[in-house]
Amino acid sequence: MEKRERLVYDVLVVGGGIAGCESALNLAKLGYKVLLIEKELSIGGKMILLSKVFPTLDCAACITTPKVSEIARHPNITIYTSTRSSSIIRKDDHNFEVRLVRKPRYVHIDDCTGCQLCEEACPVSITDEYQYGMVGRKAAYVPFSIASPRAAAIDIENCTLCGACERVCPTNCIDFTMEEEHLLLSVKSVVVATGFELFDPVKIPRYGFGKFKNVLTSMQMERQLAPTRPFNTILRPGDGKMPDNIAYVLCTGSRDKSVGNPICSQICCMYSIKQAQLLMGALPMADITIYYLHIRAFGKGFNEFYAQAQDMDVQFIKGKVGNITEKENGNLLLRVENIEKGTIMEAEHDMVVLSVGILPNMDLSESFKNEALTLDPFNFVDQADMMASPAKTSIDGVFVAGTASGPMDIPDSILSGGAASAEATSYLRRDTK
Amino acid sequence: MNKKIGVYVCHCGGNISDYVDVEKVRTAIENDEGICLAKTTMFACADSNQKEMVDDILAQKLDGVVVASCSPMLHLITFRAVVERAGLNKYNYVHANIREQVSWAHSDNKAGATDKAIRIVKAAIAKVREAESLEPLKIKATKAVAVIGGGVAGLRAAIELAEAGSDVYLIEKEHFVGGRVSQWDTLCMTDETGKELVTRLYNELMKHRNITLYTGAEVVKHSGSVGNFKLELTLRPRYIRFNCTEEELQKAIDVCPVEVPDEFNFGITRRKAIYHNYPSEYPHLPAIDMNNCTRCGKCEKVCSHIDFSQKIKQVDLTVGSILLATGFDPYEPSEGEFGYGTIKNVVTLQQFKRIVHYCDNNLVYNGKKIENIAYIYCVGSRQLDGENKYCSRYCCTSNIYTAITVKKKYKTIHNYHFNRGIRTYGKQEVLYEESSKLGDIYLQSFEDDPPVVTYQDGKTMVKINDILTGHKSLEMVADLVVLVTGMVPRKDNATGELLKIPRGRDKFFNEIHMKLRPVETVIDGVTIAGASQGPKNIMESMNSALAAAAKSFSLINSGELALEPIVAKVDKQICEWCGKCEAACPYNAFSKLDVEGKTVAQVNKSICKGCGMCLPVCPVDAIELTAYSNKEIEHMIDALIPNP
Repeated sequence: MEKRERLVYDVLVVGGGIAGCESALNLAKLGYKVLLIEKELSIGGKMILLSKVFPTLDCAACITTPKVSEIARHPNITIYTSTRSSSIIRKDDHNFEVRLVRKPRYVHIDDCTGCQLCEEACPVSITDEYQYGMVGRKAAYVPFSIASPRAAAIDIENCTLCGACERVCPTNCIDFTMEEEHLLLSVKSVVVATGFELFDPVKIPRYGFGKFKNVLTSMQMERQLAPTRPFNTILRPGDGKMPDNIAYVLCTGSRDKSVGNPICSQICCMYSIKQAQLLMGALPMADITIYYLHIRAFGKGFNEFYAQAQDMDVQFIKGKVGNITEKENGNLLLRVENIEKGTIMEAEHDMVVLSVGILPNMDLSESFKNEALTLDPFNFVDQADMMASPAKTSIDGVFVAGTASGPMDIPDSILSGGAASAEATSYLRRDTK
Repeated sequence: MNKKIGVYVCHCGGNISDYVDVEKVRTAIENDEGICLAKTTMFACADSNQKEMVDDILAQKLDGVVVASCSPMLHLITFRAVVERAGLNKYNYVHANIREQVSWAHSDNKAGATDKAIRIVKAAIAKVREAESLEPLKIKATKAVAVIGGGVAGLRAAIELAEAGSDVYLIEKEHFVGGRVSQWDTLCMTDETGKELVTRLYNELMKHRNITLYTGAEVVKHSGSVGNFKLELTLRPRYIRFNCTEEELQKAIDVCPVEVPDEFNFGITRRKAIYHNYPSEYPHLPAIDMNNCTRCGKCEKVCSHIDFSQKIKQVDLTVGSILLATGFDPYEPSEGEFGYGTIKNVVTLQQFKRIVHYCDNNLVYNGKKIENIAYIYCVGSRQLDGENKYCSRYCCTSNIYTAITVKKKYKTIHNYHFNRGIRTYGKQEVLYEESSKLGDIYLQSFEDDPPVVTYQDGKTMVKINDILTGHKSLEMVADLVVLVTGMVPRKDNATGELLKIPRGRDKFFNEIHMKLRPVETVIDGVTIAGASQGPKNIMESMNSALAAAAKSFSLINSGELALEPIVAKVDKQICEWCGKCEAACPYNAFSKLDVEGKTVAQVNKSICKGCGMCLPVCPVDAIELTAYSNKEIEHMIDALIPNP
């Protein structure tokens, strides 16, 4: 369905994670009209799915949800979820022509109350991507309990079109006639806040992820620790046993040329240390061992947080994990170089968490049609003037916020979102038309 | 009038409900006087619950609301906004903290925690019953910002504010802008020099007519509050007139008999009492250092533009917001720390960078050609016994970059890095790899077993128990030992103290909330940027400077500010001016007022923060705090401690 009328906004913010939200909100507060697009069903990015965040152990949801709520309500911000840009053309100074593709949700958001009756009625059960595959969900579903908008969606790929959801919906908001929308947009400036992708550890077969059930990614552990957690406690997925001897394998997919990612992901050391502390609270008897190369506890309060974990008796072993094998009882054997002792050791753990790193999200770069959005050697958005104007990109009027320009923790992403909004503001003020 | 009150008890997704029986809390209060609605909720702050609250308030015609959840620091504003959206005056909302004050504090005693939560919620209900509708105090905000600190963060923030449309006063204590960055040569990741970056920023700064630059300037007095801060500056003169020619000046510098260590080069060179910062300094005019000038008068004889009659000037400013970018000091090792000050070829990283700057074809220090360099990391950071527990963040990368630069510039250099675990985070990792490929040697120890520097038989030895080789004891002879010194907070915290900016455990300025409000301080209208908030590299400082500029600007942009009406009120009938309130007030909000021949106290509402310090000191009980009246507090106490 092609909409002919052209929508006009001051700024297009691409990506509704914490950096994009910060930029959008700052710009909206100064009176600029902002369109925020998000490819997922909910804004809030990765942060809204986290448990507590280092080094203050604030609950991530408590910080994200009010921000998300403020954005959702702001009169100067329009949000399109399930939306991607297909083309961004710079016509002139302060003039971008943007084409958007809005996937149908098959639910009218404004009418949906989030009652989840459709979810109960739906007979289809499939893997829940928002719980990183640890539990199932229905084809008619509310993505997660604190999603914004908190409205159902129909996963049409897996839907059997049985109509059960439609019949139980009390507000008749389910609509299978919805079609993909194509929108044409004029904006003066663009903020790229497309975030990052997580490394898929299937690419390192010797760690056995996907094959050994008790080898998890750190994001799966994050979900197990989050308030909206799938099991309401910590369990190893293989047999539902509560683990009591957990290993962390740092630098999984980072600082590793063999998987094409030579750089450090900047956050894994700290989130692993945080998870270790939270696990010690949740499972007081559990032993936690972190296998690391270097602990990168560099930010404000980070080194103190690392020292706190050592005081709590988290074991830190300097060494690279070579490979992992599975025992019959589901436990895992790790072959590790213990650098400090100068030996190769073998260690048994009943659960292994792979601290996966940050990879660039290259989705958007193809959208820029006439002027290229330059990427850096690692495929993050290149900062054209890193030292004086860190949000500037290769295209005049396009700014970058958060992890789109490289690995970053939450405080840095928020500062970067603030910086992008500041630079966009002065760019918009130079518009004399 | 009996209020219709709604109460929401939050699970906080388990943060509260894991320790407090929230359902028990709800049932304990649901039949209290005036309660029309009592609910529990998974996340009170979630958008869906906020919508539900608005619907409830409208449907049930509630006129008082309590949410029992986290600290009001986090969500008081959130829920005030919710009740406002439902048409209530926001001061009819009362926040009960049952997370920080209950569930997190009493995780070992669930029954006790639940009992305490019930009392706290009952107290909040008692307060909401008495709560009055209030209107915010509207004040005019001056559309100007004072940026204190003219390093790169301050320069960048000033430019951004000017571009956004604010008047800017950039206040630099030294006679020259550019701060630490002007002292560096090429910067890692871009290879631009520090001076080039400062030049770029300074030229940009000069384009803006709405920026006024004060150098040699210090804030000595401050009053007022957000929207209208009044600052008094003193400007130290340069004692040199601006129309002075280069030639005459050089003569004056040549004849000056005084020589002191040059801070710009961290003391490795000496300068005269009349001095340039560096040849292309900004503003481009030397100054006379009156702390060291002997007033011999020789310079005056050769240069007609020297003017000792220049006086310290005073400038008064009114600004809506203050942005602090006062930077850091490099850590100064104590005498004998790794041989510093006792062994002559031990220098700091900052000194080393200046040494490299001055050496062209050969790296020479103290007349000796340097080939083997030992770098000792984490000097002044991550201290086991000292105060500095934090990591200084920039030093690993900065040092490795310097070591690479040195190796490329002088071919015969061998670099040995005595580290505690290299922290080249993010993309900076590639520098670590590059240096390893260039043949640099890395040796590591932990905090409890640092390397040892000794001097014997004319040789400087560095010894380490290296964990990378299974704790082998290794030793080398170093031509130069570079102490990789980190960042410490400014020794001179005069501005911070003047503005009462709280500092963290690490003694850097503290933000309100690292993630929600990372550039704001508890002093409304004062934002912080760059390394004054904690160690940062240049790019990170720029991000924080821009974010702080955006925040300062958004405060003053509309020209009007709404302040909390929670302020002290003086009953002029009862007051018999004794001055105790004035003495107790940390914000200088009190002054005398004559009312029909009687002297009484009066409160400046835009300065008063409603802290309540004046209340207990008043001998005649003449002061009340809006929204915290005696009646409200007494009812809260009754609810907290019910009669047995």
